[in-house]
Amino acid sequence: MGEISKLTGAHNYFEDFEVGAVIRHARGKTMTPLENVLITNMVMNTAQGHFNEHQMASSPFGGIIAFGGVNFSLVLGLACQDCCENALAELGLDNIRLSRPVTHGDTLYAYSEVLEKSNADQDDAGIVVFRHYGYNQRDEQIAQIDRRVLVKRKSHWGDR
Amino acid sequence: MTDDPRARAVLWPKGRLYEDFHVGQRFDHHWGRTILEGDTTLFTTLTLSFNPLYFNRAYAKAHGHPDIVVNPQLVFNVVLGLSVEDCSEIGGPFLGVFDLTYDRPVYPGTTITARSVTTEARISDSNPRNGIVTWRTEGFDEAGERVIGFRRSNLVRLRNPKGAA
Repeated sequence: MGEISKLTGAHNYFEDFEVGAVIRHARGKTMTPLENVLITNMVMNTAQGHFNEHQMASSPFGGIIAFGGVNFSLVLGLACQDCCENALAELGLDNIRLSRPVTHGDTLYAYSEVLEKSNADQDDAGIVVFRHYGYNQRDEQIAQIDRRVLVKRKSHWGDR
Repeated sequence: MTDDPRARAVLWPKGRLYEDFHVGQRFDHHWGRTILEGDTTLFTTLTLSFNPLYFNRAYAKAHGHPDIVVNPQLVFNVVLGLSVEDCSEIGGPFLGVFDLTYDRPVYPGTTITARSVTTEARISDSNPRNGIVTWRTEGFDEAGERVIGFRRSNLVRLRNPKGAA
């Protein structure tokens, strides 16, 4: 263990991920106004369905619907420690599907599948593609996201 | 003449509906946003994005960065947020995002601006009161370097659906 490697996990380097493996992430998080309204307003998303409770009370949803960008950012966050704690960079996202609305009080859980692994242009890291799945407390899928990540190789970073 | 100013008020509406979009249309989105250290640290901790590059400056510097790295999902959300009034404020839900690339790391203090081009607009087969509109959206730093690009689609309500009373 070195000064850098002691700060992060030892079992989530490039070598540790196997194509086809599925990870169930240990923590869930409840969507509250702290996540939805704060982030929606912080990023200046002006759609008031995400922050006007009075207007949304008379909508078919009966209340505020969380912003989809917050929904999938929370799923990516729940998966981050296990999949990206030893990442040098997140390279991109694809196939983001927001299949169900999320309301305040819903609790999100995340699962990740290792879709692909490949070499990178640099020797000290490799590229992993994860497919992240988000579920609510009723076991309904609310989001799916593919994420390409440049992950450190243990051979180069494990002792640094 | 009434004392209630609401009786004389004129609504200044916001947002666009399906008929307002056409392929090739370009939007330079409003405002821009300087991303501050507090923004990315709060976003990162609220979303449990536990990679120390996003909240430990010494660790980020040990990896060759000049400062902590802005959480890329915050960059996405800011660029999308800046595009909402032009593209999707009142029309309907956000359906998906594709082909998103994070082109370079963003550091606190960077000012982001956003622009979009409408790439597709069609009536929904299953729900003809709505259209599906797709845009190519990009975000840039103040030097004009692209930091993010993606394609996204929304369901967008028709102002005058065919067959409507």
